[in-house]
Amino acid sequence: MEPLARRTLLRSGLLATMTAVAGPALLTGCGSGEETSAPSNGTPRRGGTLRAAFTGAGAGETLNHFIGGTAMDMVRARALHATLGDLDPSAPDGVRYGVLETIEVDDELRAYTLRLRHGLTFSDGSALTARDVLWSLHSPAEDPASLPVYKNPASTFDFAGARVEDDHTLVLPTLAPVADGRLVLCQGNYLVVKENSDFSPEAATSGPFRLEEFAPGEGCLLTRNEEFAHPELDEAPYLNGLELRSLPDSEARAAALTGGQVDFAHDLSPITARTLRGDERFTVTSTTPPYVSGLFFRMNLAHEPFQDNRVRTAFKLAADREAMVESVFFGDATVGNDLLSPGFPDYADEIEQRAYDPDRARQLLREAGAEGMSVTLTTGPETPGMVEVATLYVENLVAVGVDATLEELPAGQLFADYPAYTGLPLAASFSVPTPALPLYQMSYGGQNPAALGWDRPDVDELVATARGTSGEESAQAGLAAQRALWEEGNTIAPVFKPFTTAQVPGVSGVADDLFEQFPGFSRATLT
Amino acid sequence: MSWGPFLLRRLAVAVPTLGALSALVFGATELLPGDAVSAIAGPSATEAERDAVRDRLGLDRDPVTRYLEWAGGALRGDLGTAYTGGRAVTELIGSRLPNSLLLAGLALLVTVPVSVTLGLLAGARAGRRSDRVVSTGVLLVAGLPEFVLATVLLWLMAAEADLLPQVSLVPLGGTPLGTPEILVLPVLTLAASGIAVGTRLVRSAGAEVAASPWVEAARLRGIAGTRLAVRHVLPGALAPATQAFGLVSGALVGGAIVVETVFGYPGIGLELQQAVAHRDVPLVQGIALVLCAITLATVLLADIAARALDPRRGSAR
Repeated sequence: MEPLARRTLLRSGLLATMTAVAGPALLTGCGSGEETSAPSNGTPRRGGTLRAAFTGAGAGETLNHFIGGTAMDMVRARALHATLGDLDPSAPDGVRYGVLETIEVDDELRAYTLRLRHGLTFSDGSALTARDVLWSLHSPAEDPASLPVYKNPASTFDFAGARVEDDHTLVLPTLAPVADGRLVLCQGNYLVVKENSDFSPEAATSGPFRLEEFAPGEGCLLTRNEEFAHPELDEAPYLNGLELRSLPDSEARAAALTGGQVDFAHDLSPITARTLRGDERFTVTSTTPPYVSGLFFRMNLAHEPFQDNRVRTAFKLAADREAMVESVFFGDATVGNDLLSPGFPDYADEIEQRAYDPDRARQLLREAGAEGMSVTLTTGPETPGMVEVATLYVENLVAVGVDATLEELPAGQLFADYPAYTGLPLAASFSVPTPALPLYQMSYGGQNPAALGWDRPDVDELVATARGTSGEESAQAGLAAQRALWEEGNTIAPVFKPFTTAQVPGVSGVADDLFEQFPGFSRATLT
Repeated sequence: MSWGPFLLRRLAVAVPTLGALSALVFGATELLPGDAVSAIAGPSATEAERDAVRDRLGLDRDPVTRYLEWAGGALRGDLGTAYTGGRAVTELIGSRLPNSLLLAGLALLVTVPVSVTLGLLAGARAGRRSDRVVSTGVLLVAGLPEFVLATVLLWLMAAEADLLPQVSLVPLGGTPLGTPEILVLPVLTLAASGIAVGTRLVRSAGAEVAASPWVEAARLRGIAGTRLAVRHVLPGALAPATQAFGLVSGALVGGAIVVETVFGYPGIGLELQQAVAHRDVPLVQGIALVLCAITLATVLLADIAARALDPRRGSAR
């Protein structure tokens, strides 16, 4: 954004040399800055092209976000396609609707009626209808290549029995009574794609931006969709354009920011974030619950010592959570309470915070006859801070008399052989922001392999009751299920780390788009 | 030996070597931890879904059959389909290889003259102070891993001096040549490594030639300095130096893996790094095979060039 005189001079020299060698045809693609329009009567500024860096895939990247699991895939998809809605704990239904006007639930909690806003269109001028919404939710469940996250609604809703009542009304029956269906559908990642879209660059889209240029593995250039309609956002999106750049390395993203090549860098490592916090040229922002990622360790109940709840409790008490937050994240993280999904409405924050109590942990291990037990914690650098937290936890375990060792796998290998992963005695993992009870059903319930031996039909039943009822009954069942997990579960969740981004001061409004772990830019401005 | 038998003999070595390398590449990717099924089906897939993926990819067949099918495809120019995005591996490689070849080519343009100059200077004056200075300098650079070299250059020329961009972002829809400044740091890093290796090899060849009777005779005739180096040492050192640069060229393409990752430059090296991270086995195999083929081709070309430049050809052989 700022002119860089020395670099400009050097560039001029280089260009002159290149021109002399290769001719004037090379002098293309030299972009220039854009002016932003002055604010009028307090409304956000319009204009400018914001450049942002994210982790992307390689040259094989496609525009089909159903099969692309990187941050770039999700952010680009949210720019191109309108969302059903986002989680918003401050809103009446717990969600802020996007293309939907409301979601109504029948008294038996067996049918959800989705009502679409009127007048919504795709970029080809065609109307956005309930059929498009149904296809967007249902088609990933039918495609083996789709990411698991896009198949999740199929574990709550009976898409085969879905009814399109008219262009603006879709009725989704549930597989069992469910009260939190709105939270399932409006997580920010369920987007409306035109029915039978081929996801080509020419395909019609409905989001705040339209695709101008797509270079797989390098990035994409988007321009404002003037037809984008949102009742709360009269003139949004405010940006003229959005340039998303793919940089797989956290340091490279930070370097692009400090070097003035991008205005916004996503998902920075704790150490990089700390360095940038000391630089007044940049604003570092960390997400807060519920938009945080849990770093956790799971004890495998197939391994004998962990079948004793005293051992499991000792392993939980041994974790010095505050030290992890301070040492690894320099204080910029949240202490966990061995339960996932803090910040979501269904999270049991009534349960007391687990203390760090190494003496009690030693005593419990002694009582269980597990003093001096050997265990290997397996982890990998799958997300920033994961290995560091595991390293500290192993030290904690050693301090209470466990013969603990750390095995660090190379990046990308921890979950590579999933059957082998589910056989590990003590395995690291991380969670993405998802409401607590649907997450339980996705990753714990019904002897899910990811739960590493957790098999508690009584807790499954409590979760089903919590999701299938409302009011006090739901709250009590949800609390009882999570208390059982807290007291007897096999998960140690000591830290929830934020998604940390850095930006130049002129960028604002990114967090207003909610779903902060994969930011949207429909409300962003650049000055 | 005439050119025909010479070329046939070289090809007779290169082709089976490439075949052996292809088996090695395929075998190594088979031994990588993790399996393609987990990568594609995802961690929450049921056994039935895993079986369906395994069946679709033909992974239930024995490795030898799969290798023969892959190698046969490679001979026809078909390296299979990438797991990420489902596009042809050859297409993906084709979209990135020109960027890497540009980087390696530019690095070679810097490497050759600098290495020849420094190598001849040191070789012609073997054992003297100038030789010791050059040899120590290149030894120091040769001992630095490329990522350290890249980091030092980044710090000096981008972070501190702010002369160059820290990340090699190619403009969308453009080419690296459209923004030549993004090439400088990656090229310098690659060239520094190449110069360190090249100078030592040229110095060695130069020192050998400098000790030969005909150079000694030239010295006795009073020829010294640059004239001695260029007119008497260089012709004799050219052939072995050319072969050395064949090896250096291969190393430059290989070195692109590290350099492209550090600078975020969209070449075949960065693609390989990402393919490994995403466990995209067909893409890893394809890129590794292409890198092997390029290295073999450069060595072969260097052999041919060296033979053409050898002043003894036709008399000694």
